[in-house]
Amino acid sequence: MTLRLADIAVRVDPGYGLGGGVTAVLFEIAERLEHLAETGQADIIDLRSLPLSPDDRERLQSALGAGEVEATVTIDGISKVRETGIAGVWWIEHRDTRGEVIAELLEIARVPDILSVAHDELGRAAAALRARIAGRGNGASEEAP
Amino acid sequence: MTHSTIGDLLLQNGVSRRAFLKYCTAMASLMALPPSMGRALAETLRAARRPSVIYLSFQECTGCAESLTRAFSPSVESLLFNVISLDYQDTLMAAAGHRAEEARAQAMKDNDGEYLVIVDGAIPTADGGVYGMAAGRTYLDVMQEVGKGAAAIICLGTCSSFGGIPMAKPNPTGARPVSEIISGKPIVNISGCPPVPEVITGTLFQYVSMGKLPELDELGRPKVFFGNSIHDRCYRRPFYDEGKFAKTFDDEGARNGWCLYELGCKGPTTYNACATVKWNGGTSFPIESGHGCIGCSEPEFWDKGSFYAPLSSAAFGKAGNVSPREAAKLVGAAAVVGGAIGLGAAAVSRQRQQKLAGAAPDKKEG
Repeated sequence: MTLRLADIAVRVDPGYGLGGGVTAVLFEIAERLEHLAETGQADIIDLRSLPLSPDDRERLQSALGAGEVEATVTIDGISKVRETGIAGVWWIEHRDTRGEVIAELLEIARVPDILSVAHDELGRAAAALRARIAGRGNGASEEAP
Repeated sequence: MTHSTIGDLLLQNGVSRRAFLKYCTAMASLMALPPSMGRALAETLRAARRPSVIYLSFQECTGCAESLTRAFSPSVESLLFNVISLDYQDTLMAAAGHRAEEARAQAMKDNDGEYLVIVDGAIPTADGGVYGMAAGRTYLDVMQEVGKGAAAIICLGTCSSFGGIPMAKPNPTGARPVSEIISGKPIVNISGCPPVPEVITGTLFQYVSMGKLPELDELGRPKVFFGNSIHDRCYRRPFYDEGKFAKTFDDEGARNGWCLYELGCKGPTTYNACATVKWNGGTSFPIESGHGCIGCSEPEFWDKGSFYAPLSSAAFGKAGNVSPREAAKLVGAAAVVGGAIGLGAAAVSRQRQQKLAGAAPDKKEG
């Protein structure tokens, strides 16, 4: 069994964290939501850039609550996209192929960027589908009696 | 290959927009860029051309290349190799001998003035540079030739950045860092023995995505990764502020995870990203494993006395030898961050060191 860091009996009380700063983060989210409503401009907060203690994280999660949508994106590891209880605020966690968190964000948007399809992809997608239909069409006619 | 855009290449290799966006988001987070930059970077990069990169290995142990290639996010690293065109790296490339040297010459000719040079290792200069040769030419000669047509030079590791272990006393080969060989070219130092893999990839990524070199500190290192000392970002820092120090590696303080300052930790005078980016895919960094920082990303780290002598004793001339610049930096750091407790602890530590020096015969670090 691999020994993990947490298994080593070293007691560390980090003694850091945002404390009352969680409320400040919530105010910031509210402001960005208002900005989104007025201008349609999405925004992102990088959670890893904030010195969140486990307590802070719990308080932030509990203040935002859970929403109705949860999506999993499987590319080079798993990415979890969860809508919070505040519409338009998405909690996004990107993990690499080893399961390590490589980015954790709060995206303030109608739909998170990672879930939407880019405009230039649509043309390529239509062409790919037409090619697929053509290929299947030929195959079907060959198989037909 | 360098003429196709990164977007074209990603499509050819079946890398989706989402995969690339995820990669760029992670890199933006790593580089402490505004998070909205992830999308902007992805769009810019897709339209960018891959720069030709010539990687030169000189007087070194290959630890830096190991660090780069054994990064713990293979998918991220493989993406990086889609972002640059690595045209010459004598350890990794399939070609050898004359064919390898021809590949380098061709890359230099095709991309004159635009290629990026990565240098791993110091350059021996004594006796005409004969202590380091490959393909019948001295490293010194190759560095000077390749440096001429470079857009920029990235020094990978402490050896090429500051001379490192090859330049440690008595330096029989006359080893020198790149900055003392090449002038008139932008030089970025990514120091560390070895450097943190994500710092290497992050710096390259920033160069390709933004088309310019990152902002550098006074030692030529990217500020985004080398802007804070290990001590500034250390999770044991609260114990330093409280004056709680481990006195030996197995005492109650060590078991409680207290500050390793008195055991020789060089965190206060060392600038690097170990405490934030960490190692082995973000698992931990040396202080988390119970050992002090040895200061490997700083100039002359090998010649600054024992890794186990407290900085205070070194700075005040009781053990080891520390430059006046380093001593001034240390005093400044202690005054700013540690306050009265830090200075008090330094004084206690100094007394303890003097006691140790008095109790045992004076040992000089070899």
